[in-house]
Amino acid sequence: MVPREAIEVLLSKAKTVRDLHLVRKKREKECVFSPPPPPSTTAVAAAAKPPILLTQRHLNTIGEGMSRSLEISSFKRKRPEADPLGLIDAERAILNAIKSKKDLGIWVRDIKQETKLTDHVVNKSLKSLLTRKLIKEVVNIQNKGKKHYMSVEFEPSKEVSGGVWYVDGNLDKELVNVLKQLCLRCIRVQKVATLERVHEDLKKQHVVNFEISILQVFEILNSMVLDNEIIEVKSTGLGEYYSIPIGTVCYRFDSGPGVARGLKVGAFASIPCGACPRISLCTPDGIISPSTCVYYTKWLNIDF
Amino acid sequence: MGDFCREYTQISLKASEASTPIRHKTQGREAAVVYFSYSSAHKRSASKLLGYPLRSATKPKEEKPPLVHSSYSSAHKARREELWFTVGAQHIPFGASPQPAMVSQYGIKLAAYLISSSYGDFCSKVCECLLSRGTLTLAQIIRFTELSRENVINCLRVLIHQNCVQAFSIQQEVAFGEAPKIVTQYMALFDNTIHKMRFPKFMQIVLEELGKDCLGIFEGLLQHGRLSLNQIIDRNMQTPDNSDVHAVRESFSRLLNARFVERCPAPEPFLAPPEEETPAKKRGTKSAKIAEAPKTIEQRALATASPMESIRFLMEIDTLRGTSEEKGMESHDIATLEEKWKQDFSDAELSSSGKKKEILWRVNFEEFVRRLRHKACIEYVRIRLSDQAGIVLSAILELTRSSETRLKTDKSASMSINDIYDEVIKKDGGLGMDLERVRASLVQLGCQIPTTGIDETYSIDLKNIIELAQNEEVESVVLKRYGREAYRIFRLLSKSGRLLETDKISDTTFVEKKDTLKILYKLWKDGYLHMEKVSVNGPKQTLFLLWEVDKESLWVRVLDEMYHAALNLRLRITYEQDQEKEILQLPTEKLVGELEKRYKRLRKVRIILESSLMNLDDALMLFHDF
Repeated sequence: MVPREAIEVLLSKAKTVRDLHLVRKKREKECVFSPPPPPSTTAVAAAAKPPILLTQRHLNTIGEGMSRSLEISSFKRKRPEADPLGLIDAERAILNAIKSKKDLGIWVRDIKQETKLTDHVVNKSLKSLLTRKLIKEVVNIQNKGKKHYMSVEFEPSKEVSGGVWYVDGNLDKELVNVLKQLCLRCIRVQKVATLERVHEDLKKQHVVNFEISILQVFEILNSMVLDNEIIEVKSTGLGEYYSIPIGTVCYRFDSGPGVARGLKVGAFASIPCGACPRISLCTPDGIISPSTCVYYTKWLNIDF
Repeated sequence: MGDFCREYTQISLKASEASTPIRHKTQGREAAVVYFSYSSAHKRSASKLLGYPLRSATKPKEEKPPLVHSSYSSAHKARREELWFTVGAQHIPFGASPQPAMVSQYGIKLAAYLISSSYGDFCSKVCECLLSRGTLTLAQIIRFTELSRENVINCLRVLIHQNCVQAFSIQQEVAFGEAPKIVTQYMALFDNTIHKMRFPKFMQIVLEELGKDCLGIFEGLLQHGRLSLNQIIDRNMQTPDNSDVHAVRESFSRLLNARFVERCPAPEPFLAPPEEETPAKKRGTKSAKIAEAPKTIEQRALATASPMESIRFLMEIDTLRGTSEEKGMESHDIATLEEKWKQDFSDAELSSSGKKKEILWRVNFEEFVRRLRHKACIEYVRIRLSDQAGIVLSAILELTRSSETRLKTDKSASMSINDIYDEVIKKDGGLGMDLERVRASLVQLGCQIPTTGIDETYSIDLKNIIELAQNEEVESVVLKRYGREAYRIFRLLSKSGRLLETDKISDTTFVEKKDTLKILYKLWKDGYLHMEKVSVNGPKQTLFLLWEVDKESLWVRVLDEMYHAALNLRLRITYEQDQEKEILQLPTEKLVGELEKRYKRLRKVRIILESSLMNLDDALMLFHDF
């Protein structure tokens, strides 16, 4: 069955006699399956009559009538909704569902479950909401493959965006590296630095366009401690720590004489077996064995 | 076998006269007993690769004790792996509370290889049998090794003489009415077997501390296992640069005073059956029993066999009589000691030999391990902190060494600041240090300066230094095998010491969330991490994965891999030498051109492999002995 609205749209677009024939046929179809519509306008009635040779005067009359009918029908469309944004039921329901999740965002499939609408309706409504800039698409770092939507007035929460270190769902490695270098420079200058001193130093330099919190500086320093680039010590109040209260956690470079020569490699790690991914398969008489090992051959052929 | 003990003294004398051990050729292939096995897909085809069947432990599974940590077994079962050890022929699943004498698969293989390269394949077979199946009687050894009785007896003699096996007699349980039966059992001494690999280190310590004369005597003891003083003197006579008897006795005495040499343990002590306690007694002693772990039969045998502390480093009574005034001993003390020695050995032995049995001496491995432990701590502190901290620590350990009763002491004995300072200034580089710098070094070593000036004593936490060194070794392996991000993740989990969730790990280490999970899974699959799943029932059921480092089981795994690597290095050295054996047989003049190149290459390869083996041995001791 062809809906009435579709025919009215077609009529408004009809420019040739052929188009009018098509409209007439569609109208006939509607008449077969549905009760005849109440007589609305003269233009529609004229279109329902058998085809006659239409003159320009007829076409002009038809065109005026159609435009009038469009106004009437659009007025008719608006009246029952009374929506200030101009949304239909489905779009309103979907927007409500999205807004209810606030800064967490909602997955497309969850929207479909909540609103119980069909896929087609949901997808169309989402497109329409996006074009109207009422919602936005966000990347959820937990599930990058699944599309999440959020209302424009909210900012993604830390769980969704990954926090300040994540951009578009990926770790902002450049930002992290830049901050690491700045922290290292600060520690190099001060020899021994507390968390507060490093934070103040970074704030003064105004390198980044957002406010660095002390927690973020702590996270950066902690990751460098894990990388063994700096060490975490407690102040003793003596020597280099004279200005720092006893027991405060501070950061410095590892000053051991062995460390200065380069990171000390363990005894096991410095032989091929230590780094070998096949050690569990290696046996004295097997296919993988010390006498046939290619890693050993390479290692022993290096000129020391 | 009753004759065995009586003949022991004569045999020990004969064995010491032999300059080279007798090598026995095996007939047919040896069946390897593999009991630390993975049942994962890779290892199912391992028997095809190895060419011989893999046999699991012979004890039936219903005998295995209950698991202490059930979550580990579930984690391993999830990976379709079963890991287990055998201790004394008990099948103990991985993760159960470790027994004191646990030996892993490659530890046994390495020990067997060391015995085989010095004493032949038959001795290696007997040693491997005892290590994998635990304490056995002679009949059991003959049955399991499928060697002849005579061969097994000879091998046991050699192994006992070389301090790799200890015999003891025990009363066997019999049915009511029958006379009690005494059986002799044999236990393998794994530590002493592995020490054979580090004889050069022991010799270096003796050379540095006591000089070349003592080194000559010491070398003899290392080679022959056990010698009496007369044998030492005779051996010295045969060397080109022989010294007179008094000089030899003097050198021997110095070795004794430094505790590098000790009296041999009793050849076959009798273990009295443990007394049965009455219920009333049990209640009172229950709390005491819970506090200390029950001693295994092997520990009891070793404790009974070892000589008393007072005579362990004491020379023979004959020499003592002449020097008793120097030692400060009274005559009645000497008499009581003589009585004690008589009780140690059966009357029959004394009467059959017609003269007093000579006391046998052997290397005191415990002292060398203690010295190496101190050396490792000092070296670690010197590299990680400063040279001065190293000097202060070596001074403290020098002072406290003689008061150490156990090998693995957690903390050094307390020393006053003045004693420490007096020792520091005697050391190289210590003369320029003053009290303040000594205090600063002590603070670096983790000591707290006491607020009150009175009684300023310090003690160093050695266990902490050893643990830090162990952590660094494992982290180094993780870095090499899995990369920098895995290194960060492993360090985080190792430092926190508790379960952490995947997202938390990813945020703290600045690793992409998808990469974090991949790395964690890889580390878990290889046994570096322990994983637990937690599902939270809320509006949406979410599954959280929690991860942690289980140091106990990981350390055992790392140690086994190190044994494997040490065995690989030894095998590669043998292989390289076999490849170039023609060149080694040529005289030096003929080594020109291509041959000279090959010879130089072989030399270089040997230096690399042997020095790597010595370094790896330091790491082995770090995880096993220190």
